[in-house]
Amino acid sequence: MKRKVKLWTAKTAMYAALLAYVVFLAFPLVWLLSTALKPNSEIYSRWPTLIPKHPTWSHFATAFGEQNLLLGIANSLKIGVLSSVIVLLLAVPCAYALVRYRTFVNKAVMGWVLVSQLFPSILIIIPLFLVLRNLALTNTHTGITLVYTVWSLPFVLWMMRGYINGIPIELEEAAFVDGAGRWQVLSKVVFPLLLPGIVASGLFAFVSAWNEFFFALVLLKTPSLTTLPVYLSRFTGSEGMTRLGPLAASCLVATLPTLVVFAFLQKGLISGLMSGAVKQ
Amino acid sequence: MSGKKALLSSVLVLLVVLSFGALASAEPVKIRFVSLAWQEQSIAANYEIVDEWNRLNPDIQVEYIPGSWDSIHDYMVTSFETGDVPDIFHYEAALIGDFARRGYLADLRPYIDDELWEDTFEGAWATVAGDNGEIWGMPFIWESLIILYNKDILEEAGIELPTTENPWTWDDIRSVAKELTVDFDGDGEIDQWGAAIPLRAPVNRILNLTLGFGGGYFVEEDGRYTVRVGEAEKGLLSVIMDMIYEDKSAYPGAVGLSGTAVLPAFYEGDYALLPGIGVWARQQIMQNAPEDFRWGVLPPVKGQTQLQGANPQTLSIPKASKHQAEAMEFIKFFVAKENVTKLALGDWMYPTRKSALAMPEFQTEEAGWKVSSETVQFLTVGPWHGVPGFPEWKDRVATPVMQELFANQITIEEAAQRMESEGNRILQRYR
Amino acid sequence: MKQRSVLGQLGLVLPFLVPVFLLSVIPLVSGIYLGFTDYQFGWDPKFNGLDNYIYMLGDSYFWSSFRIGFIWTFGVTAGQILFGLGLALLLNAKLRFQWLARVLILVPWAMPPIIRGLMWNMVLLPDTSGPLNYLLTQLGIISQPINWLNNFSWALPTIILVGIWGGLPQSSVVLLAGLQSIPKELYEAAGLDGAGVWAQFRHVTLPGLRQVIVAIVSLRFMWNFNAFGLVYALTQGGPGGRTRLPMLFAYEEGFRYGNAGYAAALGNVMVLVVSALLIIYLRRQFAEEGGM
Repeated sequence: MKRKVKLWTAKTAMYAALLAYVVFLAFPLVWLLSTALKPNSEIYSRWPTLIPKHPTWSHFATAFGEQNLLLGIANSLKIGVLSSVIVLLLAVPCAYALVRYRTFVNKAVMGWVLVSQLFPSILIIIPLFLVLRNLALTNTHTGITLVYTVWSLPFVLWMMRGYINGIPIELEEAAFVDGAGRWQVLSKVVFPLLLPGIVASGLFAFVSAWNEFFFALVLLKTPSLTTLPVYLSRFTGSEGMTRLGPLAASCLVATLPTLVVFAFLQKGLISGLMSGAVKQ
Repeated sequence: MSGKKALLSSVLVLLVVLSFGALASAEPVKIRFVSLAWQEQSIAANYEIVDEWNRLNPDIQVEYIPGSWDSIHDYMVTSFETGDVPDIFHYEAALIGDFARRGYLADLRPYIDDELWEDTFEGAWATVAGDNGEIWGMPFIWESLIILYNKDILEEAGIELPTTENPWTWDDIRSVAKELTVDFDGDGEIDQWGAAIPLRAPVNRILNLTLGFGGGYFVEEDGRYTVRVGEAEKGLLSVIMDMIYEDKSAYPGAVGLSGTAVLPAFYEGDYALLPGIGVWARQQIMQNAPEDFRWGVLPPVKGQTQLQGANPQTLSIPKASKHQAEAMEFIKFFVAKENVTKLALGDWMYPTRKSALAMPEFQTEEAGWKVSSETVQFLTVGPWHGVPGFPEWKDRVATPVMQELFANQITIEEAAQRMESEGNRILQRYR
Repeated sequence: MKQRSVLGQLGLVLPFLVPVFLLSVIPLVSGIYLGFTDYQFGWDPKFNGLDNYIYMLGDSYFWSSFRIGFIWTFGVTAGQILFGLGLALLLNAKLRFQWLARVLILVPWAMPPIIRGLMWNMVLLPDTSGPLNYLLTQLGIISQPINWLNNFSWALPTIILVGIWGGLPQSSVVLLAGLQSIPKELYEAAGLDGAGVWAQFRHVTLPGLRQVIVAIVSLRFMWNFNAFGLVYALTQGGPGGRTRLPMLFAYEEGFRYGNAGYAAALGNVMVLVVSALLIIYLRRQFAEEGGM
């Protein structure tokens, strides 16, 4: 009897803790929703309300009418998907090579991973821009896609290395013995085992491209090429003033797609990370 | 290769080049214009102007690129350093001086005709002028600091309002603010403050108002700048400190608030006066205040004078632009009387053109336009404009020191001393 | 069958090398080089040896920004791991509505940093119009609204909290994955030996998570030390430089004041300091495991 009470208390405490976490992590989204639906007089009121007294859709109308939000979303989607696909195409064979061969190249690559993660990326924007200009890739989606690819590579590589380390080499050796070539081994044996890890890393690459602001600001000059974060920044004015209503509305629109993707993929995400992160 | 053949081939080459040239000139010139308009009306005005220009000038097509105040500096710096520049960009006078010093900007003076020169306020030109008479940008709209007041409170207290001819001095403001600071229910907590002075980012406001005390924080000797915080500069600082901490007539919480953040409580009647607030605040009130809120605008406070530092919004042309003349044509169209009127109204600021400011839109009593517009005569350039290293002094020295001062953590003497010594050390870097 | 042929490896690595070389190595190397020049925007860079580093030694803003950077980095990293572990344990326990919680906790990750900053600005508004101040004053926890982001003593703790918020989803998801891969049999065995919940946690869970924890600590440490966007959006380094992280400091030097050479030098120092710390940390971890 006593044990049951104790168990019940523990359960309640756990639910309470989980609720606290969810409120802490998700409350800002709720506040965004509330702001997006409030008329200006309520947004700038002295006493805030969670549920709008006079809900309005007008901020959404402004958000979609004034800035070409849908185009921004489309651009961001395109660049995000492309760069995450390319990053995987590059990282998987490379990570495989790093795990299965041990040469000086490993040290060089790991050194580069470290420096690229640590050097302030803002400071290399000018040299990077000059390289892209020499390749005639500034102000193109190709250019920005390549930049995002290369900048999420180090982390994806790191993750993939872990996943590949988790694949017992005996499996491959068995396939070799059966007369399979290197590429066959890769595609038939290694790749299927890596799939969850690939999903997780791809998601990571996609989110970092989707979220990135500074490179997009500087590299894409033509308005119709611009990505979502750059569109969003345009609701801010001088001296830190912002048009909170339309901004909140567009932020909501910008956050929902990734959240939905996450919701669908979260099972795969966790099992993917499970297979990899554990075994470095 | 014989001489004849060589001649022939060079003629051919020449012909090809010429025909390409001809083709190229048949293509319309493309002008890239980065605008920072962010208010609904002002974005609309920008689009209207650009569309009309493009309709009237098929051979010079302007591409409108929306930028943002938050990121324009980074955007332009990278553009300049990589040579991939827009042809026109929108920014502010206080910051284009630094661009000019680095050789990024084209001098617009040769393109400016007498009509435009005469019709634009001298105070506005002064903010964009180089050492040798260069003009680094076309100032087009600007603002001043005014006093906003709660009509109900002042009428009830029977306070006599100042006029343009007979403005309040800082002493007047102090006594009025004292009178209007009330603890209605006698619980020892003040329910209505005489004034609120938002000081979250204090430097611009303090510097601009210091001109009225005859100060300016920077002095130039033989082309070298030093920071000087003397009696004039301390004058304004001590008035504000006294109102907050001695008279207790200015709401101390406003020290950490921005200009926008004090407004909601202003609508509720928590403060009677907002002295030294930007003229743009009127738009926020019109948009967000409850309908029964009664308010008005009073002329700026007088120190020795009512002079104020100005910082107009500008349009500049990068030196690296290949179409400077065409870009300037568009700028002239952009600041034509009707257009600049639309733009100024869109941002609730004043046009820098005299003829535009005379339009009835800016002279009506509604929303305090007339009293506000009359302040333009006091706008002038502060001595800090174009001082190399000023941005660093502002962020690293003046802002923290003033914030500590207004939080009552250091004395005025300490603040003055730190702004000078730390400031002069920074200026050394830029020589 | 660890093969030692460089050629075979290069074949697989090559397609990766070309874009990396062009878009990452070249810019990085020129960035590192600029740290040894007097590059100011508008003028051509000239090699100036160690001048930047000598100036840095006497630059009090540099020292204070690194001090703040360490407080921030340790605070945020520790918070992300500890709170992340707590959350992962909850998500791993058999509770209802877990699927919902697992989606909702991902909210911070799904938001572009620029939105995170703006949104927290709204939540943390300095007077009662901000929901946090409103709530706390209504509940009587504080008597006066607190100016979270602009108060000399509150600003740094506040941004650390927001920083933890921003990285919590990733940390807890990775830790959850780690938890799920600990074999159930280990717990059962420990249970048979009479180990309580706490003993199980200490002797089964923590050792099982060890590698994962080492991995996230290192990654988070690097990223947090280099954090920029969120803090820039919230405080721009203010009030009075109390939240001026090293990255913000370098950014100001480069982009605001045009001292690009000095900014690059700061970048070099950041790389050196953080990699030194990481190497020490990783060595100790591996040494404890019994040899590198």
